[in-house]
Amino acid sequence: MPASALFSATIERLINQMLSMDPDSAARLKPLAGSRFVIFVTPLPFGIELHFSDRVDVLTTQQPRDALIASLTAADCCIQTSLDTLPTLKDTSQLTRLIQEKKLNLDGELRIAQQVSALFQQLDIDWEEHLAEHTNDVLAHEVFSAGKRMHNTLLTFTRKLSRTVGNAVVEEKQLAAHRLAVMHFNDEVSELRDDVARAEVRLQKLEEQANKN
Amino acid sequence: MSDNPNTPSTSENQNTAVTTDFGYKQVDKSQKASMVANVFDSVAAKYDVMNDLMSLGIHRLWKRYTIDCSGARAGHKILDIAGGTGDLTAKFSRLVGPTGNVTLADINLSMLTVGRDKLRDRGLISNIDYVQADAEALPFPDNSFDIVTMAFGLRNVTEKQNALNSIYRVLKPGGRLLVLEFSKPTTEQLSKLYDMYSFHVLPKMGQLVANDGESYQYLAESIRMHPDQETLKGMFEKAGFEQCDYKNLTGGIVALHRGYKF
Repeated sequence: MPASALFSATIERLINQMLSMDPDSAARLKPLAGSRFVIFVTPLPFGIELHFSDRVDVLTTQQPRDALIASLTAADCCIQTSLDTLPTLKDTSQLTRLIQEKKLNLDGELRIAQQVSALFQQLDIDWEEHLAEHTNDVLAHEVFSAGKRMHNTLLTFTRKLSRTVGNAVVEEKQLAAHRLAVMHFNDEVSELRDDVARAEVRLQKLEEQANKN
Repeated sequence: MSDNPNTPSTSENQNTAVTTDFGYKQVDKSQKASMVANVFDSVAAKYDVMNDLMSLGIHRLWKRYTIDCSGARAGHKILDIAGGTGDLTAKFSRLVGPTGNVTLADINLSMLTVGRDKLRDRGLISNIDYVQADAEALPFPDNSFDIVTMAFGLRNVTEKQNALNSIYRVLKPGGRLLVLEFSKPTTEQLSKLYDMYSFHVLPKMGQLVANDGESYQYLAESIRMHPDQETLKGMFEKAGFEQCDYKNLTGGIVALHRGYKF
């Protein structure tokens, strides 16, 4: 079974399903119609092509990146990055920095990369509404309310636990230094550094005077 | 164990013989097209369901891989021969966009009608033409298409070499042909398992779902009579294609052959 085809089929289904859940995505998809966005992600052995029309078609390409870049048109954009850098691409303001740091290679139209980023960044899915289509309003509301309550409870519990463990480690067992003590220590180290620097300068001056005499 | 009592017809003897294979039967060449037409008239309505059932949905991945290898781009002109119910055409239509065009060709009117209805139901209308055409004598001018595809159609053609020659003629220089077709499994174990499945399970499944076991018996037999990977590659080269290669999929049950016209 061609694994790359299974991969692209899964991604394609996921993307189009998500886009169909956001009624505003059609407006963001429209300016991308006819465009192609290609991503080479290390260590994937193939490139991923996103073709835009009234939906997104995902293909994989075995073509080497250089050959693909040679075939780019004004409606295409190709990026090469690593799996680690991929999450950073969410923030389009970081693109220039990533290119300068050579963590991202971009060829073709930058505008397409920005529009693709916006397409997914601005996804606004009303999950409760979609669940209600399969169940009913009351059940969907209850499920999401319970989810939110559970989330808040977990959040509170995590904060409390963090505080308790912190107190135990710092105050009771004294396994770690208190935050204020660390700050005080840092200040003292800074003062010491300044004193040493001053002493060094004075020594240099004394040496110069001794040499003159 | 082998259920295959014959050897596949080669490209050489296809052109000189008076008879040809129809599954394991030898029939008059002039009869094969109408016999194949009867098979597809019979299965057209249930074609997609049966494909999903028989391959457990894997035929969609084989076709997707074919599209991946096609290099289809906006503005391209694509010919999908034996396009049947339009699986490849649907995706190509979106890839080539309003500046491109896809021609769905099939010799069988029933299949073409099912395909056309399916694509229209999906809202795909603007850049698709439907042509009832014989792959051996394509009714298009020379150098017309950037890409020609044929998925699971070549084994039903009476004179396969004529079809490849005809495709070569209509391809533009620089264009490519992709033929996705059942082929020979690469291991003995898989071959035995596959034989058992095709000759014992497939016809029963066809009888149960499409109420037509015979057509699916023909399918199993026609697969065994189809040229193997290397023979088909040789036929590509004989037609004039260059840089010919093939990729075995799912252990060689299916192979994707590719050739370029320069």
